[in-house]
Amino acid sequence: MKPSFEQGLGFFHLSLLRGASLLVPGRQRAEWRREWDSELWHVRHSCTPIGGISWQAEREVTAFCLGAFQDAICLRRHSDPAERSIAAQQGSALHCMLVLGAVLAASYSMTLLLPGVRAEHFLSRYRSDPGLVMIQNPSIQGAGPSISSAQFRSWAGRRQKYFDGLAFYRIAPEIVSIGSQFQTGWEVAGASSNLFALLGTPVRYEAPDDGTPGDLPAVILSENLWKTQFGSNPSVAGIVVSVGTRKARIAGVAPAGSWRLPGRVDAWLLAPDSQLAPEGVGYVVAHLTAQGRAEMWTSRVPITAYKADDSEDDLLGVALDRDVPSPWIVFLFASMLALLVLPAITSVSLGETSVSSHRTSWPRRICRWGFLVVKIAVLVPIDYFVSVDLAYWNVAFAPSSSVYIQLIASFSICLFGLRWVLKDQRQRCPVCLRRVEHPAQVGQASRTFLDFNGTELMCMGGHTLLHVPGLPTSWFSTQRWLYLDTSWGFLFAGPGAGIKMK
Amino acid sequence: MATEAKLSHTAAMILQAVEAGFVYGFSIMEMTGLPSGTVYPAMRRLERDELIRSQWERQSIADAEQRPPRKYYKLTPAGRNTLEASRKRYPLLERLIPTEEARHA
Repeated sequence: MKPSFEQGLGFFHLSLLRGASLLVPGRQRAEWRREWDSELWHVRHSCTPIGGISWQAEREVTAFCLGAFQDAICLRRHSDPAERSIAAQQGSALHCMLVLGAVLAASYSMTLLLPGVRAEHFLSRYRSDPGLVMIQNPSIQGAGPSISSAQFRSWAGRRQKYFDGLAFYRIAPEIVSIGSQFQTGWEVAGASSNLFALLGTPVRYEAPDDGTPGDLPAVILSENLWKTQFGSNPSVAGIVVSVGTRKARIAGVAPAGSWRLPGRVDAWLLAPDSQLAPEGVGYVVAHLTAQGRAEMWTSRVPITAYKADDSEDDLLGVALDRDVPSPWIVFLFASMLALLVLPAITSVSLGETSVSSHRTSWPRRICRWGFLVVKIAVLVPIDYFVSVDLAYWNVAFAPSSSVYIQLIASFSICLFGLRWVLKDQRQRCPVCLRRVEHPAQVGQASRTFLDFNGTELMCMGGHTLLHVPGLPTSWFSTQRWLYLDTSWGFLFAGPGAGIKMK
Repeated sequence: MATEAKLSHTAAMILQAVEAGFVYGFSIMEMTGLPSGTVYPAMRRLERDELIRSQWERQSIADAEQRPPRKYYKLTPAGRNTLEASRKRYPLLERLIPTEEARHA
């Protein structure tokens, strides 16, 4: 190895120690550094060959130096009373509940902050209306626009047996002028004035009705456009803009994620049916009457429409969101599935068996069961909020995709969450509810049939030992608790030790 | 139970190593196979709990051997008692790390 390279490695290892020493409290730093520098010298002397190169040795020296960080953190934690009390809480029931509470708060905050999730909750009324259908021409592939505005007007002008509301929209790029100077391009949906009322979609920041009928068509902005081009101005309603050659007045903002119909739209220009652009084709949404709903036996039904000359036109009615269940239904279904699968991946036993005749008191038993119930009770909303956050964080997701994402997320969180809850409960001291620590292998595998072998964990409060068999047998199949009384003291310390190890 | 030491098997192993004559950090690492991030923090706690005591080697000895001085550890009486109790709990301890007398016997 070249001397300069060797020096470089030496400098690197020393730098690691210097970095770790910054974590050590000031009054102990010099002593700490002296010991680690000395040990490093001996480690290098022992591991690295003289005049040769050994990457294995350098790795060992580096691993040794990285251990200095753990030592420094440990020293800091035990010298600071506040950090010491935090460390003492680790593994306790309170610590567990605080962590779960923090996860719950974080997931709920995300639910409140993510626009797509907010919209999903906001639009539950809209989603629950099963009477909306999209009328399409079956000869058009996919869900593209297929109905002309003239055709729509002829239907809207007639008395309908199966529909009590019809709305039309057609999406086209438009040049929009805001004020006298600023011009920009929007994707504008020229729509019937009853479109939002028909869909049940809420509109935010609506101008207060002053009783004077507006002479200008109304423009509803998408939330994204409102944020990017109007700076989230809550007083946006009433501003007059030019959409193409037409003047229009902004009437409100549609919440993010509320638009679930085909086509990407920046703004909706709502106008009476007579003022809809005659050229091009668009989409028609209809609301079914009670009789219409009775006829809608599947999500797609053929519809016969009559043209102005009374000739027949074969169309298709496609139910909107009919097959998309609400997040709550998806959550319940996924949770039920997870509960069914749970016994297949973990034992549902809580390991209450004791090797002695000791019986814990009723208050302690109630505490233990209460802790289990509270953990499950906190897990349920965490599961719901996290799964909804994952499914609806992106407003661009299709509703059916969101359902699948939520189903998988909710199922996984519920299944592995319950598995963790049970495992955690099995490893909590029945007396103080602290997690048992310091697993130690006991017994010998070769003597399984003569004596038990397995893992032994201890409660740091000194209340219990937990024996977990390495190989379940008919006489020792599940974990067992051993309750310690004062007669066990000789196993832990000599007389007068007066100390508590961790 | 509140005033007694609860010794993990890792801590017991380190105490046994010190008792067996492995009296500085690196030699304990080599003997027990434990990483530095486990051994040194455990020794700090053992020293804090007065089960072991540390002492710097005299500078003259280190200078004579052209190396930096070492920090040596030894058991306190309380540490010896605790180790004795731990040996009952972990019978394999002495077989894993035999003391000098046991090695010669």
